[in-house]
Amino acid sequence: MESEEYEAGMVVREFCANGVCMKATEVEAKLDEGNIQEAESSLREGLSLNFEEARALLGKLEYQRGNVEGALRVFDGIDLQTAIKRLQPSLAEKPPSKKGKSRPESQHTVSQHAASLVLEAIYLKAKSLQKLGRVTEAAEECKSVLNAVEKIFHQGIPDVQVDNRLQETVCQAVELLPELWMQAGNFHEAISAYRRSLLSHWNLDNDCCTRIQKSFAVFLLYSGVEAGPPSLGVQIDSSYVPKNNLEEAILLLMILMRKFYLGKTKWDPSLIEHLTFALSSCNQTLVLAKQFEEVIPGVIHRVERWNSLALCYSGAGQNKAALNLLRKSVHKHEQPDDIMALLLAARICTEDFQLGAEGVGYARRAISNAKGTNEHLKGVGLRMLGLCLGKQAKVSSSDFERSRLQSEALKSLDEAIVLEPNNSDLVFDLGVLYAEHRNLSAALRFAKQFIDETGGSLLKGWRLLALVLSAQQRFSEAEVVTDAALDETAKWDQGPLLRLKAKLKISRSQPMDAIETYRYLLALVQAQRKSFGPFTVTPQIEDDKVDEYEVWHGLANLYSSLSHVKDAEICLEKVRQLKQYSAEALHTEGVMLQGRGETPEALSIYINALLLEPCYVPCQILVGALMSKMGSKALPVARSMLSDALRLDPTNRKAWYYLGLVHRDDGRMADAIDCFQAASMLEESDPIENFSSLH
Amino acid sequence: MSDDTTISEATITTTSEHPTFATTDPSAEEAITTTTTTASETLSADSLSKYQSSIQSLSSIIPSIPSSSLSSSSSNPALSLLHHRQTASQISSLLRQPDSGAGDNNLCRWLYDTFQSGDPSLQLVVLRFIPIISGVYLSRVPLRKPLAGFEAVLLALYAHETTSRAGQPITVNVPDLSHPSLYHESIAPTKNNATALNLAVISPSLEPHGTVRSTRRARIVGVALELYYSRIYQMPSGSKIEFCEFCRVWAGQDGDNKKEEGRIPLPWELLQPMLRILGHCLMGSSCRRKEDSREVLEAAIGACKCLHTRSMHDINAKAILATGSLLRLGKMVLEANDDHALNDPTEISMSNVISI
Repeated sequence: MESEEYEAGMVVREFCANGVCMKATEVEAKLDEGNIQEAESSLREGLSLNFEEARALLGKLEYQRGNVEGALRVFDGIDLQTAIKRLQPSLAEKPPSKKGKSRPESQHTVSQHAASLVLEAIYLKAKSLQKLGRVTEAAEECKSVLNAVEKIFHQGIPDVQVDNRLQETVCQAVELLPELWMQAGNFHEAISAYRRSLLSHWNLDNDCCTRIQKSFAVFLLYSGVEAGPPSLGVQIDSSYVPKNNLEEAILLLMILMRKFYLGKTKWDPSLIEHLTFALSSCNQTLVLAKQFEEVIPGVIHRVERWNSLALCYSGAGQNKAALNLLRKSVHKHEQPDDIMALLLAARICTEDFQLGAEGVGYARRAISNAKGTNEHLKGVGLRMLGLCLGKQAKVSSSDFERSRLQSEALKSLDEAIVLEPNNSDLVFDLGVLYAEHRNLSAALRFAKQFIDETGGSLLKGWRLLALVLSAQQRFSEAEVVTDAALDETAKWDQGPLLRLKAKLKISRSQPMDAIETYRYLLALVQAQRKSFGPFTVTPQIEDDKVDEYEVWHGLANLYSSLSHVKDAEICLEKVRQLKQYSAEALHTEGVMLQGRGETPEALSIYINALLLEPCYVPCQILVGALMSKMGSKALPVARSMLSDALRLDPTNRKAWYYLGLVHRDDGRMADAIDCFQAASMLEESDPIENFSSLH
Repeated sequence: MSDDTTISEATITTTSEHPTFATTDPSAEEAITTTTTTASETLSADSLSKYQSSIQSLSSIIPSIPSSSLSSSSSNPALSLLHHRQTASQISSLLRQPDSGAGDNNLCRWLYDTFQSGDPSLQLVVLRFIPIISGVYLSRVPLRKPLAGFEAVLLALYAHETTSRAGQPITVNVPDLSHPSLYHESIAPTKNNATALNLAVISPSLEPHGTVRSTRRARIVGVALELYYSRIYQMPSGSKIEFCEFCRVWAGQDGDNKKEEGRIPLPWELLQPMLRILGHCLMGSSCRRKEDSREVLEAAIGACKCLHTRSMHDINAKAILATGSLLRLGKMVLEANDDHALNDPTEISMSNVISI
């Protein structure tokens, strides 16, 4: 039994040199007795070696036997530094340009051979020290290998005619050094070791270089130690020099991806994950999308790639592109049940009236797939369903359809909040939906809850509360809320709140205060335009940045309502400078003409405005109103104009009022009563800005 | 007008307490004068006396303090304080007490004064507690508890960062391989500089803030976390584990969908620094001690799971990408941990024939 195991398990090592081989057993026994000198001399005799060669072999034997302390003792007996010094001049003496080839070459190989022996010995010494946990000493030894290589080979390691084993040792030392410094906790040495590995000419093989690049990229990305830019010495004109960790890490990762496309390395799935983390955490998902697009087919499954790309585009705000990709990936022949893709698609659909119906489909599929480990996403699905139904309701063709969709939307959101009671976004959505439904007390409750839960940290919560209060005709309270919100808001974010405040002042019949607020808003907007670089804080509500055009237009309306014709015209001039063809400006102009009794001119201006923007509701209503006064022949035109306006904006009380007038004049009293009733109900629930501006 | 007041009281959450100590507290002014008088002495003596006075005042706040930090023999008492587990857990549990964030809280004042001392080692001690301060703070905002003490500390950090960056944004030029770089060559003509590099803003410019306005709260905490991240390699693992725990609380997606206390809005200005810190906790194992790394790694994976779930609930594309990739990387790290020893490329090839 024992002898069998001996033969199968135990290894019989051999020494080979100068064409002779000898069994290592005898030498091993001597080493075990602690007799290094005897072991050495028996090797020297048996294989006709010199002292250093014998020691190097002994050290390697001890290292292989796992006796690293013994290996260290053996290596300590060699004066490695002197050996290196001896190697240097013999090579340095000969300038490489000499023609006489045969002699230097043979000498070169001999020297390479000797160098290989010495360098391997130092390298193994470093490895032994590492295994003993003496990492700083190990790093110093390892560094001396690289220093020696640089001294011996002034021009870098030649690509051709290099001793295999020498090259191997160099590669290993290059790779080991940064690791050792990291283990020693000396990160700055580690960084310079990494850069030295990658920027000097070590003639590294592809795999080794790839490993070092990746390990450096990971270090740069996650260590939290700022490396600082590389020294000026390695910078080349007109080439890209990374100036911080993230830039250097992304550069290395991109280079590694390219190596794979060129077939130089195997696919490493962690690379794309590192890039995803690095680029998405610095908002560069479009650059990431390019990386995903470049991955050659067959590496990432196409649906996975489409989904990743969709996330990238959506993350960069390019939702149309994202939706197109998602349509492919949730197609019935691909992965129709992927809940993440379905939810993202539904969310993108909530942003567009026309996509509402499509989004409803995705949301329903997401809900039915919220099972098992995905059950927790059911509430999210219901929320998306509610939002999409709400959008769909707005473009529905009939009143009946609209109210059906609206109540379904509310039902979905109510179901969702049962599943996600502390989802503040959901609370906000409910507030807006109830407000649009003109259930103002419910809307008020959710608005307050939202501000409480978010600690007032989101501007849209304050705006919702102020608008709901304004719809309840509680203007002074709405103003208190707006002022409180202004207190909680930094200067650059105050635009939408100031606009709200100006409108509240108008509603409270304080036009002079309103003008003052508009003036302040104008100064803010103009200052913002001048100082808003790409680096400043993006406002919380990016789509709702107040622009100068809007302010001038608001002022024009205000002056026109005060009959300050001159001021109003100055403001309108400004409006036209900012936007030459503007339905809003024409609207204000028409109202001013109408106020002066120039009705035909006003009508033609309204019609011009509708030619610019056929769906501009305020002008539709005014045209309808004017037409309704032009005798019975014009009544059908007025009626269709006003019905059109109501299709676009079903809660517009003016449209209902004028439509009531048309019905009355046409003798349809019952319809007229319905319209007037609608108008009077809406009057008591009209917010000063449309609730849909909150989305 | 009586209506107005009812609304404002019912809905407006503002901190009435003044959130800085410097103007209200005479002892803080005293601290400033002592630093100016000792400035003429040598730097080390100056810092040493700062350490001693800081540790002295801490000893009156927490139950017990390590003797090693009090003795002047310790080479850097601040650093030994930073790594002293027992002290840290005493401070942490005080910070978690229900009334810990108030304006008159001694510990908050100590943290504020210690950070304002300007000594880097002492500032590290304060930064060590940033996870727990911001964690408790943000989760308590909806509860309307007094928080001026926490806010003072966070504002001090924000002001420090604003000054040291001169309000400037931190940007990154995302590389494009069509330009040659120091690590690669490019075949494309170098003259073509028209393809501009993508400029990414890591952290936008900073405006000074004297108080915590609620709409800027996330940004102020986010900047404090950015500062924490910049020193994270010096942080003890306990601090990182606390951070990971708060990520789970903030995400509010731990386990089933029961009502979770502490779920907060996670705007990008807060989420981004959180993700970078988590990235370190997950992947930075090479720069910390082996025995700590497993614990931090597991805490980080747990936090990533919760944040990934949360980002799915928010359908936040960027967050889904970042947390998803961190989760997959974490899994790879766990799998590779045992693998590496067998496959070490820096190991020489073992053979039975030993030759020159």
